[in-house]
Amino acid sequence: MTTESVTTKTGSTIRVARGVLAGIGAVAAVGIYVLVSSVSLGLWTSLGPGAGLFPFAMGALLVAMSAIWLLQELRRPSAKGEGVDKGVVISIVASLVILAAVMDLLGFQLSMFAFLLYHLKIRGRRAWVPSLIIALAGSVGAFYAFNYGLNVALPVSAFTPLNLIGL
Amino acid sequence: METLNELLGGFATAMTWQNLLFAFLGCLLGTIIGVLPGVGPVAGVALLIPLTLNLDPAGSIIMLCAIFYGTQYGGTITSVLLNTPGEASSAITTIDGYAMTKMGRAGAALTLAAVGSFIGGTIATVGLVAAAKPLGEMGLLVGPPEFFALMVVGISLLVALAGKSMVKALISGALGLLISMVGIDPVAGAPRFTFGIDNLMDGVSFVAVIVGVFGLSEILSFRRNEPTPVVHAPGFRQLFPSRTEWRRSAPAMARGTGVGFGLGLIPGMTGSVSSLLSYATEKRFSRFRHELGKGAVEGVAGPETANNAHANAALIPLFTLGIPASPTIAVLMGAFLQQGLTPGPSLFTDHSEIAWAIIASLFIGNVLLLLLNVPLVGLWTSILRVPTPILTAVILVFMVIGAYTINFSVFDVYVMIGFGLLGLALRNLDIPLAPMVLTLVLGPLMERSLRESLEISQGDFTVFTSRPISAVLIGIGLLIICSPLLKLRKPKALMEDPEA
Repeated sequence: MTTESVTTKTGSTIRVARGVLAGIGAVAAVGIYVLVSSVSLGLWTSLGPGAGLFPFAMGALLVAMSAIWLLQELRRPSAKGEGVDKGVVISIVASLVILAAVMDLLGFQLSMFAFLLYHLKIRGRRAWVPSLIIALAGSVGAFYAFNYGLNVALPVSAFTPLNLIGL
Repeated sequence: METLNELLGGFATAMTWQNLLFAFLGCLLGTIIGVLPGVGPVAGVALLIPLTLNLDPAGSIIMLCAIFYGTQYGGTITSVLLNTPGEASSAITTIDGYAMTKMGRAGAALTLAAVGSFIGGTIATVGLVAAAKPLGEMGLLVGPPEFFALMVVGISLLVALAGKSMVKALISGALGLLISMVGIDPVAGAPRFTFGIDNLMDGVSFVAVIVGVFGLSEILSFRRNEPTPVVHAPGFRQLFPSRTEWRRSAPAMARGTGVGFGLGLIPGMTGSVSSLLSYATEKRFSRFRHELGKGAVEGVAGPETANNAHANAALIPLFTLGIPASPTIAVLMGAFLQQGLTPGPSLFTDHSEIAWAIIASLFIGNVLLLLLNVPLVGLWTSILRVPTPILTAVILVFMVIGAYTINFSVFDVYVMIGFGLLGLALRNLDIPLAPMVLTLVLGPLMERSLRESLEISQGDFTVFTSRPISAVLIGIGLLIICSPLLKLRKPKALMEDPEA
């Protein structure tokens, strides 16, 4: 379940891996976008430097560096990277996105409880009792510690019935 | 005399029970972060900023500083006991520290490392006290062109020293500057790179970006089924080094202090470079250099002293000139700014009481860490026995709370997730993250000083070369950036820097 290596060998020829090319392309694209946007922001005004001057310089730097990076890769491709565990990335990112999406609706306690239970019981395959204890501490415990101990308000549920029971 | 009075005033503030509690909690949390592999000091400090949001500025910064140097102490424990550095600046300690563990001298290694860290940290803080006033006063004479040039030098050094490729370091630095520019332009009032999203009008949350890039990306790079390490803490009696070990460590600690303090003052130098160079110094000057690599106390005492001296010395450029010398200091600087404190020369004129209280707390924190670190080694090692899924889940809770509570908006949680993925991509492409965090913090200050300079000179760019200090500084910055063209080679220790 790992991503492709950073360098790819095909027979005896070594070519730049697609991941690296995508990275170079992304940097160049960001640079070009910034260059174009900063011109429309105005590089110079009657009062002096405009809002676009500094971003323009950064955009130009990104475009120039991506070009040099490409040349470097064509001459000597990067060494093999470690790659990532796609399963880990997808499960963590997806669970975080769902948590962020429901946190304002269900409140911190309920959404974080479900999030922790997923990571401890389903992903982590821990026993029920420690999973429940940690999930409760990380959701209800953290809510009360932050709200009342540190005066930092975590969200409560937007649904009145849940709100009324303190969730 | 005036400095001493101000320092005593600082002690009076720092020794209130609330501030002592914050220093204690900071030391505790910092040590835990240092012990945990995977959560480095940069993400650790950023992650815990929300805990300090509602504290008064002095208490908040005291706690964050304690977290920062607590990580330096904590990182040693896993280096010595597990052969795995808790954070990068303790990597070199694994060589002799773990060899000492195999010889049954783990307790002595940990004690010597803690005492060395205490000595290095305390002497560097004395240096900070001595330098604060004169350097701060000198800093007040610096105008926008000089300030801009100074930041160019700081960023150039970090870019030049970070990672193996300067091209990739420049990309990282430029991305950081661009992220810092998102939001309403402070001069013209025009929205920049906001894509019509209201939440971006005030800019991207600094904490969400740092937690995402440094913390979440690290968690995302974990692999399934990573084994939980087996670790045995030394007993209380094993913690005492022998008389010979004390005697042999003293010169190594002295040399480590010198190396760490000197390098800590230079922007771009990381704590890892200090510990690596300290080890190299021991290899050259120690009477027992032939034992290095086989469990020599000098190989533990020297580097551990150096990285703590470095950590505290790195606060000098921040306090006196407003220039962060390393990524973690840049995060600290972000916390200063969030509390309405501008680090730099004006700190000693506008918020003198807070500045001296923070400096005084550095002394207190070093004592607390010495008392906490070694006797509680059993507690610290028990953290390592917590299975990875539980640790990951707990860290994720803190990340979500950290990102959310900055603006009390889930938008910042999405920002954290996005930057976590960006950080993962950058790691995979071997693009260093350190320049990004530095430019992210310095970006607004740098742009402001550039624009003020050009307004003073009515658009004439020679304002940077016609003033002697800024001309020299710009020259140094250009020389650093052009060093690959001039075939200037990086010292070997910098090539081996694990933090880069």
